[in-house]
Amino acid sequence: MTTRNPEATGPENLQKLHDDLSDVWGNPRGLKALTIVNHTTLGLRFMVTGMAFFLIGGILAMLIRTQIATPDQNFLTPDIYSQVTTMHGTVMMFLFAIPILEGLAIYMIPKMIGARDLVCPRLTALGYWCYLFGGIILCFSMVLEMAPDSGWFMYTPLSSSEYSPGLGSDFWLLGITFVEISALSAGVELVVSILRTRTQGMALHKMPLFAWYILAMALMIVVGFPPLILGSILLELERAVGMPFFDIAGGGDPVLWQHLFWLFGHPEVYIIFLPAAGIVSTIIPVFAGRPIVGYGWVVFAITVMGFVSFGLWVHHMFTVGIPQLAQAFFSAASMLVAIPTGIQIFAWLATLWLGKPKMKLPMLWIVGFLVIFVCGGLTGVMLALVPFNWQVHDTHFVVAHMHYVLVGGMLFPLMAGIYYWLPLFSGRMPSETIGKWGFWLVFIGFNATFLIMHWTGLLGMPRRVYTYDTGFGWDIFNLLSSVGSFVMSAGFAMVLIDIALHFRYGKPAKTNPWNADTLEWANQLPPSPYNFVSLPPVETRHPLWEHPELPQQMQEGKHGLAAADHGRRELWGTDPLTGKVREIIHLPGNSWWPLFAAMALAVVCISLLLRWYPVAGVGVLIAIGFLLRWSWENGAHPRAAPDAKVMPGDPPLHSRTMDGPGLWAMTTAMIANGSFFLSYLFGWFYLWTVSPGWRMPDASPLSLVALVVAGVALLGGSALMESSVSKLRKQQDSGLAMRLYGAAILGALQFALILWVMWRADLAVTETSHDAILMVGLYYALLHSALGAVISLLQGMRVGYRYVGVHAPFEPVVVAYFWRYNAVVFWMLIVALAVLPRVIGS
Amino acid sequence: MKAIIQRLHLTHPGHFVGGLTLWSIWFITIYGGLSVACAVAPPDPAQGALTSINISLLLLSLLTALLLAGLAWGCFQEAKMHEGRRHFNAFVSAWLYVFSAGGVMFVAGPMVGLPPCL
Repeated sequence: MTTRNPEATGPENLQKLHDDLSDVWGNPRGLKALTIVNHTTLGLRFMVTGMAFFLIGGILAMLIRTQIATPDQNFLTPDIYSQVTTMHGTVMMFLFAIPILEGLAIYMIPKMIGARDLVCPRLTALGYWCYLFGGIILCFSMVLEMAPDSGWFMYTPLSSSEYSPGLGSDFWLLGITFVEISALSAGVELVVSILRTRTQGMALHKMPLFAWYILAMALMIVVGFPPLILGSILLELERAVGMPFFDIAGGGDPVLWQHLFWLFGHPEVYIIFLPAAGIVSTIIPVFAGRPIVGYGWVVFAITVMGFVSFGLWVHHMFTVGIPQLAQAFFSAASMLVAIPTGIQIFAWLATLWLGKPKMKLPMLWIVGFLVIFVCGGLTGVMLALVPFNWQVHDTHFVVAHMHYVLVGGMLFPLMAGIYYWLPLFSGRMPSETIGKWGFWLVFIGFNATFLIMHWTGLLGMPRRVYTYDTGFGWDIFNLLSSVGSFVMSAGFAMVLIDIALHFRYGKPAKTNPWNADTLEWANQLPPSPYNFVSLPPVETRHPLWEHPELPQQMQEGKHGLAAADHGRRELWGTDPLTGKVREIIHLPGNSWWPLFAAMALAVVCISLLLRWYPVAGVGVLIAIGFLLRWSWENGAHPRAAPDAKVMPGDPPLHSRTMDGPGLWAMTTAMIANGSFFLSYLFGWFYLWTVSPGWRMPDASPLSLVALVVAGVALLGGSALMESSVSKLRKQQDSGLAMRLYGAAILGALQFALILWVMWRADLAVTETSHDAILMVGLYYALLHSALGAVISLLQGMRVGYRYVGVHAPFEPVVVAYFWRYNAVVFWMLIVALAVLPRVIGS
Repeated sequence: MKAIIQRLHLTHPGHFVGGLTLWSIWFITIYGGLSVACAVAPPDPAQGALTSINISLLLLSLLTALLLAGLAWGCFQEAKMHEGRRHFNAFVSAWLYVFSAGGVMFVAGPMVGLPPCL
C-alpha cells in the first residue's frame, strides 16, 4: 500500500506529522476528559476500575475468612454473612475478572495488530460508563445493607420475592444487566477490530496468539451473555410484576433459571480463562527466546474450548434430578475439555523446554499459574464424574476447586501480564525484589488457603454456612485457611505497593525491554494516543524479532497512513482472511454522547429499583434519543467525514463502500441478539415440555391472522430495504428516500398490528407462565419492529441531508441486515408461539 | 469426490467452526431429543439400554461422526495440496473435525449401557 510521506522524511516534516496526529487523536484535559474515546485511556480506566473492585471483593473475602476462622463466631450476623459471600462472588466475577481482562484486551489489541484504535471507539466509552455506573449501583447496596444474599448465581426460588423480599435481588439483577451492556459492547467491537483492522499483510494465520484468544473470548461473550440477560429480565419481571416464570404454582419452573444462568455461567469460566491463557502464550515465548511450539495446535485448542465450554453447563446441575444418561452426556463433555487444556499446557512446557527461559518477574507468575491451574484442572476432572460430584456437592471442595481454576487460571496470568506490560503502561520497570516478595506471599498464602479448603470440603463442610460447631474436625483447617488468606492479602498489598512505587521510582524502560516479538512494543513508552505514526506491512508472526528496525521506521512515518492533515482518525480496513487492505476506516472522535447515554441508562436502572416506572420510561426515551443522536454523526456527516478525499493510490473511505466495519458490527450484534432469542425459545419450549404446572389454553390467545399480516408487512419492508441496497450497488439512488420511508411505514404497520394482537389476547401475565412468556415474546417483536421503523425513517432523512446516497451507500446495507434478521426471527416467533400450539395443542 | 471437496472450500477458515458447530447441533439434538422423548414416551425401565430412544440417538450419533470423519479426510487431502495460509487452515480444520467426530463417539458412548429415562 502507499506510503504517504516520502522515505526521506525530514525532522521538520516529522515533527509536523506528530503534531497533526496529536491534534486529531489527542486527549482533552479537565472536564472534557470525560469525552475521551481512545482505547489506550479507556483500557487503562477499565483496568484501574477493575482493580478497585478487586480490592472491594478482596476485603469481602477477608470478612468471610475471619468469620469462619474459628467455630461459633459472631463476627458477622447470618444475614450480613450471606450478603458478603454473595457480593464477594458477584464483584469478583462480574466487576473484576471480566472487565479487567476486557480492559487489557481493549488496551492491547489495537497495538498488537498494528491499528490505532478499536473500530467502535464510542462504544468502548459507553461500555466503560455502563460498567462504572452499574458497578457503583451494585456496590452501593452494601452501604444500604440491602445487598443481594442469595448466592452469586441467584438461584430461584431463594432469590424470588417470596424468600428475598427486599431490594437485594433487584440490585443484582438490574446492576448486572447494566454491567453486561459493557461486556457485550466490548465483545462486539473486539471481534470486528480483530477481523477487520489488522495491519496490512497480517493474515489470520500470522496473527499474534493473544488476538486469537481474545477473538474467541469476545465471540463467547457475544453468545454466552444473552442467556443471563434474558434470565435476569424474566426474574426481575417476576419480582416486580409477578409474572410467574420460575414459580411452580403459576406454571413456571425454578430449574429454568439454573439452565439460563449456567448457559452463561459455565462459558464464563472460559471467557475468563482464555484471555489469561493468551497472556501465558504471549509471555512464555518471549522469556524462552523462541516461537511457541505448535502455534496451529494452540489455535485448535482455543477453538475447541470456545465451543465445548458451551456444552458443559448441566454439570453444575447434577443434583437437580436429570436422567442418568443426560448426566453422562455432560460428564463426558466435561472430560473432553481436558484435551484442549492439555494441548496448551504441553505447548507451553515444550516451548520452555526447547528455549532458554529467563526467570524474570512475569515468568514467576507464569510458573505459579502452571502449578495451580494444573491442580485445579485435575479436581475439575474429578468433579466431572457424577458420583464424586454428588458426594462433594455444595461443600468447600467445590469452592477450593473453583478458586484453583479462577485464581490460578486467571489472576496469576493477569499479574504476569501486568508486570510484563508495565513498562508499556508507564515507561518504567517494576522492582524485582518487592515483586518477588509479593509473588511468594500470594503463592504460599493461596495454597495455604485453598489446598486446605479441599480437605475441609472432603470432611463434609458445606459452603455458604456462616458458622459451624466445633467437633466436626474442621476447626484447625479453617483456622489455617484463614491465616493463609491473610498471607495472600499481604502479598497482594506488596504487589500494589510495587506497582504504585514504580510510577515514581521505577527505572526508565528501554525500548522493547523484554526483547518481545509483537507490535505493541513498537509504541513509544508510554504510548501516544495514536499508537503508531505509520502502519507497517506485517507478514510474520514475530515482526520485532525479524525486523528490529520496524519501530524506528514506523515512528519516522515510513509506512502507511502517515498523514493527519485531513483531520480524520484513520486506520486500515483489511480483509479478515488475508490481511490485504480493502479500505480506510475513519473513526469518530471524542464525544459526550456515550457518557450521556450511560447516565440516562443509570437513571433507568435506579428508577426500576425504586419502582418509579414513569421515570424509568422517560429515562429509556432519553437514552434512545442520545443513542440516535450519536448515530446521526456518522458516515458523510460533517463531523465524521464530509469529504471522501484520499491520497492517490489509497483505497476509499469505508463509509463510501458497501462493506465497512459497521456491517460486521451489526452482524456480530445480531449474533448476540440471536442468542438472546434462542434462549427465549429454549425457555418457551422448556416450560411447555418440562414445567409440572404448565397450563396451556385450548385455543391460542394470539390472532394468527394479525400476526401473519404483520409478518407480511415486515417482509415488505425488508424487500424495500433490499431493493434500496441493490440499486445502490448499481450506482442508482433515485427514489431511495421513498423506499426507505416506505420501509419505515411498513415497520410502523407491523408495530401497530403486534400492539393489536397484544391488546386482543388479553393475557393474564401474572397468573400463568404461559401468558407471561407469550407477552415477553410479543414485546421482543414489538421493540424490533419499532427499531426497524425508526432507523429506516432516519435513513430516509439522511438521504435528504445528502449523508446517504450513491456517494455514501454504506448505511442502508447495515439497516437492511437488521431487517433481514428481524424478518427471520419474527416468522420463527409466529411458528413457535402461534402455529405450534394450534398444531400440537397443550 | 474431488468436485465435492472443491465445493466445500475446505481451506477456508470457516471450517474452523464447521466441525464444532455440527458437534454442538448434534449435542443439543441428543440432549433435547432425550428430554422430550422421556417426557412424551418414557420406555419401561426394565428394557435397560436397548430402547428405541437409545438406538435412534446412537444411529444419529454414528451418522454425525461419519459425516465429521469424512470432512476431516477431505481437509487432510486439501492440506496436502497447499502450502502457507491454505495449508494452515485446512490442517487445523482437519484436526478440529477429527476432534468433533471423536467427541461425538465419546459423548454418545454411555447410550450403549445406560437406560434413557432413569
